[in-house]
Amino acid sequence: MLTVKERGRFVATLRYVHVSVMETLAAWVPTTPEMEVKLLFGEHVWDVAQHADSLGKRTFELRMPLQHSVRAAEEYVGFLAEIAAVGPTPQRLAAMYDVLLPALADRQRRYIEHTDKLVDAPTVRILERYLADTTRMTEAAHALRREIPALQPADRQWAAALQTREASLDLLAAAQPEAVAMGA
Amino acid sequence: MRISRDTKVVRGVEVRDDPAREACFTIVHLHHDVPDAPSTTPEGRLMRAHREYNQEVQTLEIAALCLVDFPTAPWELRMELARQCWDEARHAELALRYLTEMGGWKGMYPIANLDWSVVAMLDSLPARLAVQHRTFEAGSLDMETAMIPMMRDMGQEHAADVKEGIDTDEIQHVRFANEWLRRITDAQPRAVLEIAAAMAWLRKVVEATGLDSLKDIPTSDENRQLAGFTQAEVSEVVRLHRAAIGASTLPGEPGNE
Repeated sequence: MLTVKERGRFVATLRYVHVSVMETLAAWVPTTPEMEVKLLFGEHVWDVAQHADSLGKRTFELRMPLQHSVRAAEEYVGFLAEIAAVGPTPQRLAAMYDVLLPALADRQRRYIEHTDKLVDAPTVRILERYLADTTRMTEAAHALRREIPALQPADRQWAAALQTREASLDLLAAAQPEAVAMGA
Repeated sequence: MRISRDTKVVRGVEVRDDPAREACFTIVHLHHDVPDAPSTTPEGRLMRAHREYNQEVQTLEIAALCLVDFPTAPWELRMELARQCWDEARHAELALRYLTEMGGWKGMYPIANLDWSVVAMLDSLPARLAVQHRTFEAGSLDMETAMIPMMRDMGQEHAADVKEGIDTDEIQHVRFANEWLRRITDAQPRAVLEIAAAMAWLRKVVEATGLDSLKDIPTSDENRQLAGFTQAEVSEVVRLHRAAIGASTLPGEPGNE
């Protein structure tokens, strides 16, 4: 069974990642030319902010400060920065909706499998809501690509390689996590 | 992620370069270069819907930029800005839906992104809230409120209902800015100087570019109070309005019927 400390660390790290994803989507809004995609990112900024907020409330229940973030493993932080730096719109869509959000959903499913679903039920509820939202968000992106074929990724190998890399990375920092005041 | 801070010069004033737009759009740099006609004509309604579509997108872009530029802002304020991103995205969709229902399309008229160009130059969050939310959005709210009865008079009931729905979101945007400006200036009196500098700079831009297109719009007392302006602040807006149009009374006020 996961300890309170382990659960708190996972939740606070996940909050760090969600704040980072929110900032990436926000940064892509003014720098993406296609209006439909801009609006999609704008909507999802709010979805991801709500996820971060729920996780930040849960950190307090898990004996950490309210809206507390723990910085992810350095390689994962680098991976997030690499995604944030992607320029072409089809690649942005692929990186976010084919790679990052589904990968985070997988990590949360694995967490749900390992945690005690009764003891840690409040975290499980938050993550289950997140999974439902992620499905809606990725379906919206896929629908947009069907509507505007120019948004389809030209190089599917690129996204596949990104996916493989994400799967190889640790999300949690190995050493004693350093607390960061990120958007708190 | 770093966003380019490139600038452009409009009538001698340095402002932020335009946000990304598709090739279908022709970008102009002054509001009076965006085609306009009375909303009582079909062409005027198309122009207005097209202008509002780009306006809502700009407002989304400004809220999003605040999230990027001020990562250490209080989390509750960041949540308000994140929610605003969704609201403005929905408003843009509504404007596009109205435009296409009338037979229009994106890119059919030139657009200007002067609100973005002005607000994105400001490097303080209180200054952005003062200019974007308290000035531009509160001004739009006044304009929308004046539009709704006109739309109903023209038989555009559905469009008027949509406008009212949008207003409820916009009131909240102005309200959260008012609340946070009070909290920030109470905690950091220095922020008042940043706001004053921003407003002085805004006046300079308005003088140079003719940005202020709201001079003939009556101030909506009720909506401004819902949006968190005090009665004293509403009175000050009315006083400034009078000074701007050189009138002793305003439309709808006794003595001006």
